[in-house]
Amino acid sequence: MLLAVLVFSLPYYSYSNDLRPYHGSSTNAAANGNTWAMENILPNPPGLEINGVIYNYVIDKNVDDSVKVHIQNENANGTGYVFRETDEWKSGSLGGTEIKKAVPIVPNIPRSAFGEGSIDIEGPGSVLDPNVVYTYRVDPCFDPQFDPGCPGYKPFIPEIPEVDPNSLYNALEDEAVKIATAETKSELYEKDDEQVESKENEEDKEKIRLEKTLSAVDNSELFVNAFVQSRILTQINDAIQMKKYYAANISGGVYKETQSLFDKKIDDNKRGLRNGLAQQLLHEKMIGMQYEK
Amino acid sequence: MFKKTTLIGIIGFSCLPVYAVDVPISGNVQSRCIITTDTPGVYGNPNAYTLTTSAADGGVQPIVRFDVSLGDAYYAQITTPTQFSSSPALNDTVTWTGSTQVSTVSDATNMGDYETNKVTFGQTTQYDLTATGSTWFKSTSVAVNGGNKAFPSGSYSAIIEAVCIAK
Repeated sequence: MLLAVLVFSLPYYSYSNDLRPYHGSSTNAAANGNTWAMENILPNPPGLEINGVIYNYVIDKNVDDSVKVHIQNENANGTGYVFRETDEWKSGSLGGTEIKKAVPIVPNIPRSAFGEGSIDIEGPGSVLDPNVVYTYRVDPCFDPQFDPGCPGYKPFIPEIPEVDPNSLYNALEDEAVKIATAETKSELYEKDDEQVESKENEEDKEKIRLEKTLSAVDNSELFVNAFVQSRILTQINDAIQMKKYYAANISGGVYKETQSLFDKKIDDNKRGLRNGLAQQLLHEKMIGMQYEK
Repeated sequence: MFKKTTLIGIIGFSCLPVYAVDVPISGNVQSRCIITTDTPGVYGNPNAYTLTTSAADGGVQPIVRFDVSLGDAYYAQITTPTQFSSSPALNDTVTWTGSTQVSTVSDATNMGDYETNKVTFGQTTQYDLTATGSTWFKSTSVAVNGGNKAFPSGSYSAIIEAVCIAK
């Protein structure tokens, strides 16, 4: 139980499979000859570290000869070799014997240090069917800043340089600013004000005069424009209204008399006679009343 | 008073328990010489009365690997077959020949002379494994039927014996 608690309480990093270290191997470096360029046989991802060389070949020599075979990589960053494995085929060893070897490489040698690789032979002999394979390990999180998922990744924080406030430019202490902000003598600006005012008054009057002239011209133009527009509208309206009459049809024909008097005599209306007489009387009475005054 | 005291003392000693403990010792010896079949052999049949592992005759040479982690402590003995382990009923005696040689080494400097220094007696070849590392040995086995009679048809098999002998 205690062990389980300990195991689960151990810190661990969880990151995607893509960021986990992986291993690989090159193709046969000596496929095209006894020298090779590393950039042609190894991938070039960051964090690649060569950790071993596996090779085999058949020695071709006479029994009595002594031959040395070196499998090696030059030091690209200096002199000598970063890797060199020597097989010493002494006198007495038979030609036609194959050698198979797996040689670990000292860790932490940068990938860039591996220069040109080669099979170097000392003595009367040669190698047949050489096969040289590099094994490597790639740690994508070799640089923790490679990915936010890498352990040890630190979010980028821009460096803000520390500045001494006293070394900064202070405008209030600038001589030019002091001169510019110094109080001006009142005598100087009063005289100037008077001169400026008189000049401004004359200029204002001239401006007003000019504005009035221009406004009169504008008004007359506006009036003419309005009048012309009004006339145009009137003519348009008249045309519209007159069209109705031109288009109207008056039904023609003869209107015959429909009433007829059989005895050709109309009797006076007695009721109307009476009423008219009464009014006449009343009228005369009223006129008489006026004269009585 | 003395006697009493003595008596008590005697009783006290006589009452003490006696423990007998057997402490076990165990150990495990791991072999420093491991033998592995690298390539099983196949008999070719160049003619009716011959079976051979020679590649030139259509056979495959068997290869056995010796891995030694302690140098100069073992001999490798490889014996080519002298009889079939399984076969049809034979119609004559078979003549056996065989040989073994170093095929591959993992250390040219210290194993390069294995082949030169080998000892052969009969069908058996012995190598002195003086260096640590791996050595591959390949063998050839040839079986010729007596009187050049044709081998009866069927399946034939034989066994090569590889032994690691401590010095």
